[in-house]
Amino acid sequence: MQKMITVNINNQEYEVQEDCNIVEACDAHNIPLQRFCYHRYLPVDGSCRTCMVEIETPQGMMVTTACTTKVKPGMAIYTNSEKAVAAQKSALEFLLLDHPLDCPICDKAGECLLQDNYFDFGRYDFRRTVARYFKGGKALNAGEHIVLDQERCILCRRCIRFFDEIVRTPELGIISRGHESSISLFPEKFIRNPYSGNSADICPVGALTLKEFRFKQRVWFLKKTKSICTQCARGCSIYIEHNKNTVWRFMPRENPALNRVWMCDRGRFSFNKLHEKRIFTPLKHQEEISFNQLYDDIAELLKTRRSGEIAWVVGPFSSNETYYALKTYCGDNAVCLMPPASGERDDLLMLAEEYPNAQGATFFGLQTETAPLIDKIQKGRIAALIIVEMDLFNLRNDSFAQCLMENIHKIPLKIYLTAYRDETVARVDYVVPVRTYAETNGTFINATSLLQKACQALVPEHPDIDAACIALYTIATGARKHQRRYSDASEMYDKLRSHYDELRSFQFNQIPEYGIALNMPKRADEPFKGIHVDFNVCSTAKPLEES
Amino acid sequence: MEFELQLTKRFSIPNCHTLEVALNHGAYRSFEKLFSMKPEAIVNEVIASKLRGRGGAAFPTGLKWSFVPKDTALPVYLCVNADESEPGTFVDRYILEYDPHLLIEGIVCAAYAIKSHDVYVYIRGEYVRPYMIFKKALDEAYRSGFAGHNIKNSGYDVHIWIHRGAGAYICGEETALLESIEGKKGQPRIKPPFPAVEGLFGCPTIINNVKTISHIPWIIEHGGEAFARIGTSESTGTMLFGISGHVNNPGFWELPFGMRVPEFLEKYAQGVKGGSLKALFPGGTSTAVMTADECADLYLSYESMRAHGTMLGSGGLIVMNEHADMLHALRTITRFYAEESCGQCTPCREGTFWIHRLLEKMVRGEGTTKELDLLLEIADNMEGKTICALAAACAIPVRSCVVKFRQDFEKYVKPVFVPVAAAAEKMLGDDAVPF
Repeated sequence: MQKMITVNINNQEYEVQEDCNIVEACDAHNIPLQRFCYHRYLPVDGSCRTCMVEIETPQGMMVTTACTTKVKPGMAIYTNSEKAVAAQKSALEFLLLDHPLDCPICDKAGECLLQDNYFDFGRYDFRRTVARYFKGGKALNAGEHIVLDQERCILCRRCIRFFDEIVRTPELGIISRGHESSISLFPEKFIRNPYSGNSADICPVGALTLKEFRFKQRVWFLKKTKSICTQCARGCSIYIEHNKNTVWRFMPRENPALNRVWMCDRGRFSFNKLHEKRIFTPLKHQEEISFNQLYDDIAELLKTRRSGEIAWVVGPFSSNETYYALKTYCGDNAVCLMPPASGERDDLLMLAEEYPNAQGATFFGLQTETAPLIDKIQKGRIAALIIVEMDLFNLRNDSFAQCLMENIHKIPLKIYLTAYRDETVARVDYVVPVRTYAETNGTFINATSLLQKACQALVPEHPDIDAACIALYTIATGARKHQRRYSDASEMYDKLRSHYDELRSFQFNQIPEYGIALNMPKRADEPFKGIHVDFNVCSTAKPLEES
Repeated sequence: MEFELQLTKRFSIPNCHTLEVALNHGAYRSFEKLFSMKPEAIVNEVIASKLRGRGGAAFPTGLKWSFVPKDTALPVYLCVNADESEPGTFVDRYILEYDPHLLIEGIVCAAYAIKSHDVYVYIRGEYVRPYMIFKKALDEAYRSGFAGHNIKNSGYDVHIWIHRGAGAYICGEETALLESIEGKKGQPRIKPPFPAVEGLFGCPTIINNVKTISHIPWIIEHGGEAFARIGTSESTGTMLFGISGHVNNPGFWELPFGMRVPEFLEKYAQGVKGGSLKALFPGGTSTAVMTADECADLYLSYESMRAHGTMLGSGGLIVMNEHADMLHALRTITRFYAEESCGQCTPCREGTFWIHRLLEKMVRGEGTTKELDLLLEIADNMEGKTICALAAACAIPVRSCVVKFRQDFEKYVKPVFVPVAAAAEKMLGDDAVPF
């Protein structure tokens, strides 16, 4: 626990953390104070000069920047004194002096700090009576994902500090000096690092924008749903930002212990996958059938099999609810395959395991040993195989997938629960369309044993498409729709939590924003290994996107 | 007025930049006494001398030295600021050219006092001749054991490195100078931490001006008390005063503090050229301008300057006669600051250029009285809101010129309001931007 001290802000006493700066002290108590260059997770720069406050010093009253001034016990701080307000207003006036004001065509409009701060703190009369100075440099190609607009840039240097201090690829810099200063790359060079998308997030204006998002949506139409990234075992907290049932972008969500406010490009630009190669209608031998017929057929076929003859195969891609349904309703022949870790990894966030919930399978005690099942398949003792959300026939170098390909003729019935039309779809008898993780509620456990929830962002194309856990429950129990115990995956969670001490006290909608740290062995190191950036998160501070 | 020259004593001697001639005229004489004293004793002597930094800020040198943490495990650096770029200031170069051995002697003395073994001399990039001469003198000093390893068998090492600037005024600001030596872009750092605690490469660093350092040998030889007896109570010792502009005899002289400015103008600069005195910048363009009336009882001392609301700065006086047009003068001055702003802090980056553009507009005869008041407001919004003093250095002459010589500006501006869009159209023709 941090030591607390008392300071006096605007003639009112506040308890703040020792050795935080004045911006952080104000944030902790929701005292409005504008800032551009200050960012909670970046080293302090102090160059934008907008967070001006007046403080009492032994030498008298002094106007200074809040971000570079540490609080001291008993310090008197004024954010609304005449001099402080004048300094705040004038700094904004300077920033906007030669700004192009092309908000109508700027993608940042709506989430632009310059707009927000001017609205809250600006002086509303425009006083530039000289010709505008054109900084040039519009829509420059700055990298695979990034477009640079030097004209809009206010030179807060957040992006430079992010690349220098967090990613450690000093790709951006400021060339020239004085009013000619502009953010630039080295000649013939581009931003090539796996975290480049973050620079557009932290850019307070529209100087850095994402090619994948430019001119796609106005941000005020976007709805934000709290979710997680499923592209690797880190499971960074994100917002799925969607409008009209389409995902337009993933944005990292603040989670101090996990991903701070960053995410990798691999995860960020995976949002398109949610809409690609989707499957919406049930298939029987590649022919479309109705949902009623599908569930009738499956129930009929499975009724005649003994439970020992039915095998269930799942991958580390499913939610905890799916694992729970497998464990609870589907008997002993459920295995979870662990494909080898093959992705890129680094010391920041990315992990080599490109799947989100291997820890969940462990938590629910799913069998990962495939040898007994392989043996049974080879001996022809498996009469039905149900594959859950895993492109099994696309797996290479996996002994189980190998065995399955060789012995596929020995299994008379193969059912596949999937959201995507992938290679396995063509090789099975029945395809049961299920929802993606963006279309259902669910929980996931990441490699550092943090249980997080992913909330439903989109409505499925067809109302009969179920979440995988509910489809599994239906298949396993043969229950008809009106007989089902669950109508939503979150109800499955609420059922399962009662079995685990660590989860018992959290209903689905009470799962904390930063997740629940579970007491189980971790699969990966803590994020940001070896990156020591001086930042100071006040535990009481409000989330970033609201400030 | 009788006084002993401290900095310029060997300036009149031909070839004094060579070690041989300099030695014959008393260079490096202070070393004998220097190495017999303890470093702390030297710091105390400098404190007793009340020597103040000659670079412009006039911070007490001994006090600055005493800020170096005692018994630090880190190396201590000394940086000598020879990035003399203030308009109207030109005396450091003559120390480098005429008597480089005085500076080297001072460097060794100062380094010994603050227990530093590595000294960087930051020479302005444009100073090619001073650099060549100083480099040659330094080589000679190294060869003869006045610098480098085991100086004159004292067992003390002082290595002196020359670092040349690349033409940025801002690198004369002490922390920007450090950034520049470190190989980074010359932009001032946020203080605290002050360089004396965390400076060059994160180590304790003292940065002194060439003139300040050059005073040290004399103080060691004669003692701080003797130095403090020269000049006035607050401004002790002598100083090099340079004078330029509309005077009959521009140049520089070493004088004790306390001379009346009109006396200095008459006696040394031999009067104002081409008319009577109109305005005077006492210490480079960064200081508040003085009118002729104010100059009458202005003395060349820190306290007198402060009492008149200006600063002695680096001691470079700029004189303007009655025919000078203050608007044109100020436009030239602000062009310098707009050009030299490093671009780090918003108020300076945008403010200097805005002011310059407004003055350009006034020179074209398109200004308004409203804009004249706007100039003052911009100056207020810049001063004291930035990391370093460059914004203030631009704001101070703007404010003082506009307030004190408003009639000069009013000749150019129209009291009527010119609609913004119309003005822009006039300037840009068809390319006019809608506001």
